[in-house]
Amino acid sequence: MWRSRSRSGSRRPLQLAVVAAVLGLVAAGCGSSSSGGSGTGSGSSSKSAMTIADVAPFTGTDGALGPTYLVSCDAATQAINAAGGVEGHNFNCKAVDTRGDPADAVPAVHQMYASGAPSLIIGCTSDEAASVVPLFAANHTVSFCMTGQSEFDHVKFPYFYRLVPPDLSESYAMVAIAQKLGYKRIALAFGNDIGSQTFVGPAIAAVKKAGMKLVANETLDLSANTFRTEADAVVSAKPDVILTEALGPTEASFLSEIKQLNGGKVPPIIGTSATISPAWYKSVAAAVGAGTLASNYSADNLITETSGPAFQAFSTAMDAEKGKVGQTGDFSTYLTAPGAVHLYDGINLAALSMLAAHSTSTSAWMPWILKIGDGVPGATVVHSFAQGAAALKAGKQIRYVGPGGPTNFDAYHDSAGLFQVDKYSTNGAVNVAGNISDSQLRALGL
Amino acid sequence: MLIVGSVFVASIGFGVVSAAVLALAAVGFTLQFAVTNVLNLAYGAVMIVSAYAAYELNIHGVNIWIATLGAIAAGALLSVFLNNVVYTPFQRRGSSPIALVIVSLGMTLILEFGTQALAGANNVSYNMSQGATVSAGSIQLTVVQLVIVGLSLVVMVLVHALIRYSKLGKAMRATAANRNLARNCGIRTGRVVMLTWLISGALCGLAGATFAMNSGTFGATSTDVFLVLILAAVFLGGPGQPYGAMLGALIIGVTTEVSASFIVSDYKDVIAFVILLAMLAVRPTGLLGTPMEAGRT
Amino acid sequence: MVYYITNLLVYAGVDAIACLGLSAQFGVGGVTNFGFIIFQAAGAYVAGVLSLPSSSADGGFQHYVLGLNLPFPLPWIGAAIVGGLLAIPFASIVGRRLRGDFAAVGLLVTAVMFNLLVNNYVPLFNGAAGLSLVPSPLQSHFNPQGAEYQWGYAAVAILLTLATYWFVQRITNAPFGRSLRAMRDNDLVADSLGKNVRSLRTSSLIIGGAIAGLSGAVLVGFINLWDPQAWGYAETVVLFAAVIIGGLGNNRGAILGAVLVPVAFEEATRYIPPVNGNPNLVPALQWVVIGLLILLFLWFRPQGILPERRRRLSTRPLPDEATAAAATDGGWSLPGPNGPGPSAGSDHPGLIEPLAPALPSEGAPAGDVILEGRDLVRTFQGVVAVDGVSMAFQRGRLTGIIGPNGAGKSTVLAMLAGTLPATSGQVLLAGEDVTSLPAYRRARKGLVRTFQLASEFKRLTVLENLVVAIPGQRGETFRGAMLGRRYWGTQERELVERAESMLERFGLLALADRYAGDLSGGQRRLVEIMRALMAGPDVLLLDEPMAGVHPRLAHQIGTQLVRLCQEGTTVIMVEHELSIMDEFGDSVFVLADGRVLAEGTMAALRAQEEVVEAYLVG
Repeated sequence: MWRSRSRSGSRRPLQLAVVAAVLGLVAAGCGSSSSGGSGTGSGSSSKSAMTIADVAPFTGTDGALGPTYLVSCDAATQAINAAGGVEGHNFNCKAVDTRGDPADAVPAVHQMYASGAPSLIIGCTSDEAASVVPLFAANHTVSFCMTGQSEFDHVKFPYFYRLVPPDLSESYAMVAIAQKLGYKRIALAFGNDIGSQTFVGPAIAAVKKAGMKLVANETLDLSANTFRTEADAVVSAKPDVILTEALGPTEASFLSEIKQLNGGKVPPIIGTSATISPAWYKSVAAAVGAGTLASNYSADNLITETSGPAFQAFSTAMDAEKGKVGQTGDFSTYLTAPGAVHLYDGINLAALSMLAAHSTSTSAWMPWILKIGDGVPGATVVHSFAQGAAALKAGKQIRYVGPGGPTNFDAYHDSAGLFQVDKYSTNGAVNVAGNISDSQLRALGL
Repeated sequence: MLIVGSVFVASIGFGVVSAAVLALAAVGFTLQFAVTNVLNLAYGAVMIVSAYAAYELNIHGVNIWIATLGAIAAGALLSVFLNNVVYTPFQRRGSSPIALVIVSLGMTLILEFGTQALAGANNVSYNMSQGATVSAGSIQLTVVQLVIVGLSLVVMVLVHALIRYSKLGKAMRATAANRNLARNCGIRTGRVVMLTWLISGALCGLAGATFAMNSGTFGATSTDVFLVLILAAVFLGGPGQPYGAMLGALIIGVTTEVSASFIVSDYKDVIAFVILLAMLAVRPTGLLGTPMEAGRT
Repeated sequence: MVYYITNLLVYAGVDAIACLGLSAQFGVGGVTNFGFIIFQAAGAYVAGVLSLPSSSADGGFQHYVLGLNLPFPLPWIGAAIVGGLLAIPFASIVGRRLRGDFAAVGLLVTAVMFNLLVNNYVPLFNGAAGLSLVPSPLQSHFNPQGAEYQWGYAAVAILLTLATYWFVQRITNAPFGRSLRAMRDNDLVADSLGKNVRSLRTSSLIIGGAIAGLSGAVLVGFINLWDPQAWGYAETVVLFAAVIIGGLGNNRGAILGAVLVPVAFEEATRYIPPVNGNPNLVPALQWVVIGLLILLFLWFRPQGILPERRRRLSTRPLPDEATAAAATDGGWSLPGPNGPGPSAGSDHPGLIEPLAPALPSEGAPAGDVILEGRDLVRTFQGVVAVDGVSMAFQRGRLTGIIGPNGAGKSTVLAMLAGTLPATSGQVLLAGEDVTSLPAYRRARKGLVRTFQLASEFKRLTVLENLVVAIPGQRGETFRGAMLGRRYWGTQERELVERAESMLERFGLLALADRYAGDLSGGQRRLVEIMRALMAGPDVLLLDEPMAGVHPRLAHQIGTQLVRLCQEGTTVIMVEHELSIMDEFGDSVFVLADGRVLAEGTMAALRAQEEVVEAYLVG
């Protein structure tokens, strides 16, 4: 039982606690760099290295994403540094863990700025984009984001650039693939998280427009562990194809249950571009079987090159990173993963813009992103940073076309591009199986 | 989506499998409550630790059914540890039941995230085949699922025999009803309690392994929502009532799966939540409990 | 850098406000509301949908209800109101006579369930994606990303924290707070002393809920986004850990806990570099450490870093504690600066006040029936504990209820007092049927009981135990509490002095500022009796008051009880010690097997053969 204490005795814990709290706040507040101020963009020329920050989840449910993006950052910067850097500066990459939660992302970003503003930001997934993009804008930092949220389709954020398709058009693309393959009976199976919920509505609309029949629509509760009834509902509806995205263990459980209930066979499945990732492949292949995945699974993806000079440069850069990634399956999956390809392109675009502007100050080089990305008439097409640097030195105008294909920024800095169909081979490598044309997408209302 | 008959019938089959796993878990949980009067919310965490124990053996080449013995052992030992080292000392110094709930939540954090720290945040699966699918009308179950159901039935019969006919069972019932009186009658209640936690811990371990088998893949926090299903089953049948737990597990297991077949599937676990809250509000002693005045336990 | 600091300050403010709300519910009100996070979430959502434009804005990419585009500060006020209103259905879950841990689990499950429902039902709050682009307050007038605005926001957060602190302090320092703490320590006893426990509990939930709602509004205005990820089960655990570590029932402790756990601890772990190859290791360990801290604190320092302050109410210097020991031996007659002891009372009637505060008698003569039980029946798990008992008690008399173990004596007493509902039968108090009245209402009508087992309010001081029982305190309502010490201070002084006199009479003045839970058995028994007397009862029901008490002390108590009866109070005692009944009891009822066996004076009963056989041995 708590006995009474003298007055001075009871002061001590309070004093200690106050000291601890103050120390805590001070420690939290002290960044490593003394260059404070309200963050006005990239570093001054007295800094020798420029930082690219990977603002994404490194922990939590989506914790596989941050490390994936970091790989492409390392690959890109290594190639840039090897080609001489920009204006005498080299690049390095920094991880900023948002923990997959907007309330945690905000202090993470503030802490990042407190210890030295980065020159460029990549990552920002659906988990945190809505809360951190305004912060990037306030700090005048260019960001290349991975989020497909519709919020960014029609709202202007000045420093926001997106090279991945919005979920809206992706869902149309999935339906277009189904249409192309001649399927008529469509089943939907999406998880109940942010990333997946945004596909369902547009998909239903597109199915109707395409004259196909929606035979099942199951939402998978990501916190549940078995989905047999949902799987059975899908299988009994006898669909021609299942459109799906669910991350984490859900997809693996769900698809293996589909397999069990369908007499050991998996019906054709079309996934979103988020399913083209090494972590997803590892988890699902273990549950369903690599062979099954190979024969029955397709995914939509933004067109990416799989050969040619851009791809060569890209794969060389990525190969250099091979030993530094954890065991997540076939490394070659990275070569078409959206998180790798498009962020690599974004970094190159940014670096080339800086070269073209002869400045590392954001206000100077940012306009060049559009010029180099969309290209001006008569521009020389370049496929890697090294190539572009050389062309700029020779006084030419350039257009950068990387492994992600040509860019076409709209008024909201979104570049959607065209879609292709990807399939997995039995060892996890990704192959392109076809394309979706512009007209097909437009017919569906895009 | 509205589904016709066959999915409905099939969902009953799946519900039975869910109920089988749930029964193993709920009976263990309720036995712990019966003899120690503690709501051991760390139960789900012990389940998943046991599942990982089996996984460690499994990926080093041990057959999954043998590895399950490892899960059982892990569950038993960890449960006894939990009771002797954590709960009993707090109870001895007169902590309120709510303090014990908070303690059990603290233990859940330590166990689940300790496991995640050691094993990583990725989800894992057992190295096993689910076996062929067996059909009977609209009901389709894999061999593994049938084995789980069979295993659960056998264990329920054993538990019944233990409680009803064995000396230990009688001692357990006496200790659960009135520990002081039991001690005065010469029953070594300390030992009875330890044995109860050992047995219920074994059930917990077995439940963890079968849960993992049934789910396909699992991670350190996979049992968070499952714990609510366990609580629903326990409270439906009556806390401290093993037969109630079995009944509750059957009802909860089947209704959650069946509800997925005709209500929107993403709410299927909400049914269990609602049942639990309704039981707490209306009849906290459960269906099989005696109607005492609420609060006087 | 500036932004990081302002960010931390705002978060500290938000968490401090939330912890103050939780402390009000949990630390002071004793409600372990594991669903607490729902209030903060509701506040954030409401502030969001009140300040957002209609959902078709910005291309209609979000779906949510309302969207009223209200200017600051209306959304924040709305958030607090909704937080408070939401508490009302919660009160009905918690208010039932449900075991504390069952209720706690129910609340936890409710929180998880609501999270799931909001996550899946998109039209409500945009499902998993949540509300984005929530306007910052006054963002049309200032640039929300500018440094001045950020500092301003931090200042507002801190001001609100201070305001909340002031508000909660006002409540906990007032008699209202004392009643809440009494309810926390032992709600059954508080009920029997006339406290409307249900209303108190609801109040503490509403207060905590409104505060939590406000904290949600402040947070959403800052990060401009709110989704189900932000209010999972994990956030509740962190808040509880903060309040436990900081100090339960101490408002400064709540603030300290908020700064240490959600802010300092979570931010400090950001500085630990991730382990290569296992990026999840540090965050996973962070949770392990929080779990360990909860356990360690609950074991070694359950009161937290800043424990609940002991409130010293005493208005005068207290005598040496040695005098208190003598009291439990029954030797009260120590003369001292505070006047002679009670044993000299009969010689100096003018010096000693009557034990019971003078209540206006209704003019009825002593001897009429003031309390009556008719055909009381109580069945209990299929067993009939009381089988048609009828008893009438005369005013101003000391009546005993005796009988063998299991005869149903305590059950009858409980039914008379209202702490146990009768299965059938009637209870009449001064001719009025009170059968359907709960215990606290009967207490307010003058029917007060004590309990067989130790039932002091452990974490209230002895003086507080006594003062809390006094009915009709000005500061006992919420309104009274808010009006402050100016409103209730004078009366409080009077009541404290009254309690001190009572303590003095029983020789326990030295213990006035000790926690009641620290006292010895005999001392606690005295405190209980004194406390019951402070409630000013017309009828006092005592459940085995002499159990385990030193015979000399028992004798003293008996003498005091007789004096009480002479002053007009009716005393009814369930008792085992027949010698007490012989000496002090006017008459007794003998109960056996749930029925009245006999009634009359002890002398008369001793002559009846069947009574002697059944029970009276010696």
